[in-house]
Amino acid sequence: MSMLVEMVGINKSFGATKVLSDVGFSLEPGSVHALMGENGAGKSTLMRILSGVYQPTSGIVRLRGEVVNFRTPKEARLAGVSTVFQEFTLIPNLTVAENMFLGHEPRRADGSIDRAEVIDRSRRLLADVFPQLDPMAIVDTLTVAQQQAVEIAKGLTSNADVFIFDEPTAALNSADVEHLFKVIRDLKGAGKAVVYISHRMNEVFELCDKITVMKDGAWVKTAKAEEFNLHSLVATMVGRELQNFFPSRAGETGDHMLEVSDLRLDVEGPTVQFSVKRGEILGLAGLEGQGQREIMRALVGVESAKSVTVRRRGADSSMRAVNVSSGFSNAISAGIGFIPEDRKQEGLFLRLPIYDNIALGKQLNRSMASVAWRSVSRVRDIIKSLRVAAADPGAPVGKLSGGNQQKVLLGRWLLSGVDILVIEEPTRGVDVGAKAEIYRLLRDFSERGGAVIVSSRELAELIGLCDNILIVHDRKVVGQTPAVGATEESILGTALGSHSTHDQRAAVH
Amino acid sequence: MNTVATYLRVPYRAGAIRLSIGTLVLMVLASIIFLPGFLAGENLSNLLAQSTTLVISALGQTFVILTGGLDVSVGSIISVTTAIMTLDMPPFVRVLLCIAVATTFGLVNGYGVARLNVHPIIMTLATMGIGQGLALIILPIPGGRVPDWLSMSVAGSIGPLPNALVWLVVASLVAAWILYRRPFGLYLFAAGGNEFNARMNGVPVERTIMNAYVLSALFACAAGMFLAGRLASGDPKGGAAFGIESVTAAALGGVHLAGGIGSIFGTVVGAAILGLVNNVMNLANVSAFLQSVAKGALLLVLVVSQRRKTIGL
Amino acid sequence: MTTANSKPSAPSSSFNVKRAVFWIIGLPPAYYVLAILIAVAPAVSATLINPNYWFVILKQSAPLGIAVLAQSLVMRVRSIDLSVSGVFAFAIYVASSGLLNSYPPLLTVAMPIVVGLLVGVINGVLVAYVRASAVISTLSVSAILIGVVQYMSAGRAPGSTPTWLRVLTSGNIHGLSYSVIIWIATSVLVAAAFRFLIVGRYFRAVGDNPRAAETTGIPLARTIFVSHVTAGVLTGIAALVQVSALAVGTIKPGFDTFMNALAATILGGVTFGVDRGGVAGPFVAVVAFSFLFAMLTVFGIQEPGKLIVQGLIIALAAIIYGTRAGRI
Repeated sequence: MSMLVEMVGINKSFGATKVLSDVGFSLEPGSVHALMGENGAGKSTLMRILSGVYQPTSGIVRLRGEVVNFRTPKEARLAGVSTVFQEFTLIPNLTVAENMFLGHEPRRADGSIDRAEVIDRSRRLLADVFPQLDPMAIVDTLTVAQQQAVEIAKGLTSNADVFIFDEPTAALNSADVEHLFKVIRDLKGAGKAVVYISHRMNEVFELCDKITVMKDGAWVKTAKAEEFNLHSLVATMVGRELQNFFPSRAGETGDHMLEVSDLRLDVEGPTVQFSVKRGEILGLAGLEGQGQREIMRALVGVESAKSVTVRRRGADSSMRAVNVSSGFSNAISAGIGFIPEDRKQEGLFLRLPIYDNIALGKQLNRSMASVAWRSVSRVRDIIKSLRVAAADPGAPVGKLSGGNQQKVLLGRWLLSGVDILVIEEPTRGVDVGAKAEIYRLLRDFSERGGAVIVSSRELAELIGLCDNILIVHDRKVVGQTPAVGATEESILGTALGSHSTHDQRAAVH
Repeated sequence: MNTVATYLRVPYRAGAIRLSIGTLVLMVLASIIFLPGFLAGENLSNLLAQSTTLVISALGQTFVILTGGLDVSVGSIISVTTAIMTLDMPPFVRVLLCIAVATTFGLVNGYGVARLNVHPIIMTLATMGIGQGLALIILPIPGGRVPDWLSMSVAGSIGPLPNALVWLVVASLVAAWILYRRPFGLYLFAAGGNEFNARMNGVPVERTIMNAYVLSALFACAAGMFLAGRLASGDPKGGAAFGIESVTAAALGGVHLAGGIGSIFGTVVGAAILGLVNNVMNLANVSAFLQSVAKGALLLVLVVSQRRKTIGL
Repeated sequence: MTTANSKPSAPSSSFNVKRAVFWIIGLPPAYYVLAILIAVAPAVSATLINPNYWFVILKQSAPLGIAVLAQSLVMRVRSIDLSVSGVFAFAIYVASSGLLNSYPPLLTVAMPIVVGLLVGVINGVLVAYVRASAVISTLSVSAILIGVVQYMSAGRAPGSTPTWLRVLTSGNIHGLSYSVIIWIATSVLVAAAFRFLIVGRYFRAVGDNPRAAETTGIPLARTIFVSHVTAGVLTGIAALVQVSALAVGTIKPGFDTFMNALAATILGGVTFGVDRGGVAGPFVAVVAFSFLFAMLTVFGIQEPGKLIVQGLIIALAAIIYGTRAGRI
């Protein structure tokens, strides 16, 4: 069978960071092909090259035997490649139908959009796949799960030959997932090629014919799905070297340093409570979007919850309350710091120098009329001790790599003197080399008498880094396990095993 | 009030026009009740004539605001248009010149904002200054003569309909046709809703933004023509107020300054509210200068009710 | 202003030269414009290079200069203040209408500043806490003020400004009028505050990334509120200086004031959320504009030509120097 898609020798670099090295990938028509790997393995990047978002630094892409060079997503779509992105590209003030056909609306003879046709075709398409979706609904009024359904429906409107699904089931419940599978199987039967990127092993094994594993920007292995089993697949993805990647865990931990109780995310929901000990790194694990983010942000006061009570141990060894409901600044005064997942949008000031970004640590919670702390030498020391690769503290932070940017953020909080750190996705967008450094820095922080609460999509990361892991599912804590001896399967098993009832809120069907 | 509101279902993208409509209705009712002479034919035709320039310029402004921008050069384009219409050239040439100048301003604004990444306020501020200077060079002091056909097309009536109304309705219909019947209109909403995603989906964002500014300039040109016809002469500073008033009218009509939300009907209602304030003040013999206060207060009330997530501009 | 904090002690001289070159290239357009003007001036007219004339120019620029200082404050945090005209109009009217003649002179001096402060507070509440659009809010406040002035002046025409107040502009120390000294003093104060106080750090963070500022624990709303209140006070001081420069109060406020202020701010390297000019940039820009207009007058170019030149300069400065820092 001739290949529908052939990608040969693909290399991709963003500035100085190389993300893909000599990767090869092929797709047969009438097949469902899984693309797997850890976070940062390069799967999304590779598919973005295929869908025209990026151009390869070098390498060849062939579609139906002919070399293609997509410079925009639109070109790729016109050539027959359709993508359902992980981050939605929906327009909030447009309707479902308008979003589905955006950029390739059916036209009438006079050039105007044939609105009746748009609505008609949307209705027919949705009836098949997501009958509960109203084509006339405004996207901004939909839930996240419904928006994802729209994103998927978008991919189905063009008569493409290649369909790329990037983590399509993150916000869907099991009924919707079954529907999606039916759609994908229909596509396969019609001779289309489907790329399925997902962390969900069970889905991969149920749906896919072939599996390609990538790791650290390189191709590792391609084989038929039946030639893998769960263990061999995980081993291929994760690799053996992981042992030395993480610093050793805490030998002993101290008293409870932080207690979170009565944390209620929804009015009628369950309460969350947990505590962290001095010297401990605690992880919040689970599938995406299960409430980890909301829990973390509620406990520091960056976002509000229906109710939350936080207490921390003070210098005199007694527990005192921290009023996080009034805002993050209370948490900061109480010695709790927060590093967000999206460091470019929510953490860093990209046009300001490294110095300013770090120095902010000593400038928070001060009266505006007070004198600002200044010490170039202190900041230089921090830069050196964190090994931030930048010659000049005056350089804007936006120019640094992901790993160095994360170190700057860490530097800010280290300077501020907090002893409890709440951090989301500590190594997102960080290359492998810097990851180990960041883990080391976090462990040093806890060893010096601090505590760290970390959430991450990468279960392997949490297992390696943390002392204890809380398993979160459906916006509540459903289990707890020491990290020693925990596996991704055991964690996911605990998470999914507790999933009993059909979640109405996520219902699209 | 809630149940009434649910009966009047409006499209999501139109914004909070129910509030605007309600305000307008209240104002009209109050005027009818408390001001004798409001419904007199002469007063109504005055009201119409005074508001038409504003409505037309506000319509053009709506296109720009939908993209999340602002066009303060509208006022200068109106002034330049009235100035050009008094020039000593064949009338046909004058009209062509107005259109050419307006188009140039629109292209410059659009290019600066869409391709050179200049902030809309700054770019249109620059062209506003240039335009005002140009108007003063062409016509240093108010005066001159505009072609008779222009003043007659503004003043008379076709049957029972005053010409001003015809101008207004035609302009509104054209604007509505552009916004609701052309792909360009959908792309405007898309670019205003989420510019990045719109681009990812293949929407020609740069071209759309440029066209929005050109349209704004052309509508301003039309508004200027009407004004010239009404004054029967040129005024090099006659359009100055419209730069901001057109934004005000659109905002009063539910158009969000952040972009993505707005409607033609809303803009017309907003302009009507402003026009009514002017008219009513005169009729009630309220000092003409209190109009500023009333307009300012009205704006504040309506803008306070527009809940926003972002702080600042 | 921006890079000064973080310059380390340079190790080698070639490093120094490279830095110096980058620094010069990074200067706001105002410096270039002024340099070109000074270079060209001798060829145009002998008066222009007379130092006494420079004192005159400075004196004329003082009210605008202080207003520009105010405008650059709010622009740094991605807001705008269009109520300058209103405050000026109100202050000028009240001072010249004789309303305050029966009160101690201190009141006449305090009035513009109090008005500016109140306006700043109102603007600050509207923009920072009510989250109304800054464009519309400050404009409405201005419209209300102007309307009130026009209303009051129908009943009581403005007359002459108090003679004793004019000494602010006419009196001088070694040629520098008191108004210019006030301008320089307030500029130095603001510059020092930015450099040494926390408020400067917050302004820069909020301007660069409001969302990140919030997530970092910086009080976003309060910072923007403070910017408006401070701008209001400064505008009030500017109005006071303006009153002292006038002989007769007028009703018609300068719409140009806001445009001039915005033009000078941009030329000085400050735009929405971006501060690459510090306090000195806009200061130099105001001087440059005054000089430019003086020169244009020598050429016989009147208001129209000046408007065109101003517009061109704004456009060029924005295109060449700045990038947009977020939209409305």
